[in-house]
Amino acid sequence: MFKLIFAKELKEIIQSSRFTISFAVCSVLIILSFYMGAQNYLASLAQYEAAVQENNNQIAANTDWQFVNHSIMLPPQPLMALVNGVSNDIGRNIEMRSQGELRAENTRFNDEPIFAIFRFMDLEFIFGIILSLFAIIFAYDAINGEKISGTLKLCFANPLSRASFISGKLAGSFLGLSIALLIPMLIGCALLPLLGIQLTGEEWIRLGLILIAGLAYFGLFLALAIGISAITSKPSNSFLLCLVIWIFAVLIIPRGSVLISGRIADVPNVDQITAEKNRYRAQLFAEDRPKMADFSVDPQTEPMDVFPLFSEFMNELGTARQEKIDVFNARLNEEFTNKRRRQEQLALSISRVSPTSVFTLATTELAGTSLRLQNQYMDDAYEYQNTYASFMEEETGSANSGGFRMIVIDTDGNQEEPDPLDPNDLPQFQFNQGSVATIAGNTLLDFGLLFIFNLVFFGGAFAAFLKYDLR
Amino acid sequence: MTTEPIQAAPLLEARNLTKVYEDGVKALDNLNLKVLPGEIFAMLGGNGAGKTTTINTFLDFIQPTSGSALINSIDANQEPLEAKKYVSFVSENVQLYPNFTAMQNVDFFVRLGGQSNYERADYEHALIRVGLQREAFDKKLKDFSKGMRQKCGIAIAILKDAPAILLDEPTSGLDPKAGKEFTRLVGELRDEGKAILMSTHDIFRAKEIADYVGILNNGVLVAQKTYEELRGVNLEELYVEYMAGYMDETLESAVLTNDLD
Repeated sequence: MFKLIFAKELKEIIQSSRFTISFAVCSVLIILSFYMGAQNYLASLAQYEAAVQENNNQIAANTDWQFVNHSIMLPPQPLMALVNGVSNDIGRNIEMRSQGELRAENTRFNDEPIFAIFRFMDLEFIFGIILSLFAIIFAYDAINGEKISGTLKLCFANPLSRASFISGKLAGSFLGLSIALLIPMLIGCALLPLLGIQLTGEEWIRLGLILIAGLAYFGLFLALAIGISAITSKPSNSFLLCLVIWIFAVLIIPRGSVLISGRIADVPNVDQITAEKNRYRAQLFAEDRPKMADFSVDPQTEPMDVFPLFSEFMNELGTARQEKIDVFNARLNEEFTNKRRRQEQLALSISRVSPTSVFTLATTELAGTSLRLQNQYMDDAYEYQNTYASFMEEETGSANSGGFRMIVIDTDGNQEEPDPLDPNDLPQFQFNQGSVATIAGNTLLDFGLLFIFNLVFFGGAFAAFLKYDLR
Repeated sequence: MTTEPIQAAPLLEARNLTKVYEDGVKALDNLNLKVLPGEIFAMLGGNGAGKTTTINTFLDFIQPTSGSALINSIDANQEPLEAKKYVSFVSENVQLYPNFTAMQNVDFFVRLGGQSNYERADYEHALIRVGLQREAFDKKLKDFSKGMRQKCGIAIAILKDAPAILLDEPTSGLDPKAGKEFTRLVGELRDEGKAILMSTHDIFRAKEIADYVGILNNGVLVAQKTYEELRGVNLEELYVEYMAGYMDETLESAVLTNDLD
């Protein structure tokens, strides 16, 4: 009987006008999101390559590494374009210095603020918002609609168990609607290489996992709507209840979790931290000012030797000051980072009450656009900073970039013109995304929760139907 | 019409069937009735008399407070899946899946009834027998009139080939021609040996076709007459007599003006 109900449900869904409309809308949206994602990625890639080239040109235009302003850039990833996550909100460029704090600047939304208002239509948006609504539209009257139409009574006038009916209905509707999603998804995947985007094996696996998460998310809303249709007598009531739950799951809980965690775990804002750092820097500089004023040399010293001695003195002073600043900043940063991570963890834990948050966290992690992206980028940048500092020290004899510098220019025209710098001499920045195993491991909790949500909603629908008044 | 005494065991039997709802309303009160193979038992009664409750109890949609509803001697509330193998059901307003064609609906419900060996020709034969036009076979049900849906419903009942049939006000809302056609089909099924329990407001059709007519009032079977006993009897008067004091004015007026359809 399960097979019969399953096949009936599948056939009924596919033959319905609701399916035709939903299939058409899903196809357009999903394929469009793949296409737009691909175009965005290609544009970002071109922009990234141009920025790298510009950076290299700037290096090549110099003859001394002391004058180089080297920047590193976050390389775009194809999956970032399909599931944006925080990728458009974090700074892509970091001006590299041998020591001191690094700051990521130039976010995508900074460059194109219009997208900050309307956001991109990525896969996460389509699944999270649109397809969850489709699931509700399809299933809100699955049980009470059949009761009102009279088909439920006719079905159960036959030797049919309730368990077979509800299982067949859940499985049939899930498969029927999955077809509406899988076909455009597969077309979208096939479009990627045609549009010039070559995914690696690991990226294909991650994309596959994103699609599985999408189906699981869609399935839980389907089970939820079927369950609600089994506890309400009228389709209008079940639709209203589904809509209220959807609003809480999709819109209220994720935003509310951030507000609640902000109330519970107080974190100073970045401006406060920066102000404190600047205050300390100014304080140290004020302390050093009398030392600078007291600088003196042996009156017998040749004037030409005074400048190198002053430069060395300032360099030592600057290094000592910077060391103190670095220690102070590192402490502030660590405190700030710890507090912020505690707040984030709290917000994430609360938000996981909502399946939408769970889905978002899973997909952004798989796409490499979760909150971890910023941390990973900064960690990699600081790691690169050490390599960069060693290189600069080797090339210039000083690891201290910036600050006060005195240069003596020999006007004797007999010297040879120095060679321009070769950008390839500079160590290359590597952004480490992590292996697919690590990324998949990070999503285990969220996949587990998606599974549990499915189980709970399916079980709820099942239990509700066992008690359902069939008359 | 079967008039000879039948010795076979009843296919449908209500034994001291009582249903009291949580709010204290007694829908059925110690109801006893039997329908043997080749018999039609018509239940008459006003709205809320207990006709549909009786049918719902046979279908296990309602659990009786006491007593039992037996289908082929199987308690329909104790072993519903087994009992339902022996019964077909046609409701007042047959509603099938609107996005399915007549043929797809028949195929689904007949398979659900346990018959999986039929071919399209068998379905066509049944649909033609109930009077559905051939060009309607592959049309979606959403375009069907009530009469056409009723025909599909009876075709499903025929194809399920269960020995007992429950009809819940099957001619309600049908035009006279469709109603007459439906009555003819029910008669044919009875002649094939089916035991048929039918609830209806239609006194005249009940008198025309039923072997037994039972009058229910407030869940009590207040009268039960055979076809022979009804011969020459003015059933309207009998009905009003038994219902006197219980009916609402509207129904009484309808009975008196022979306007129960």
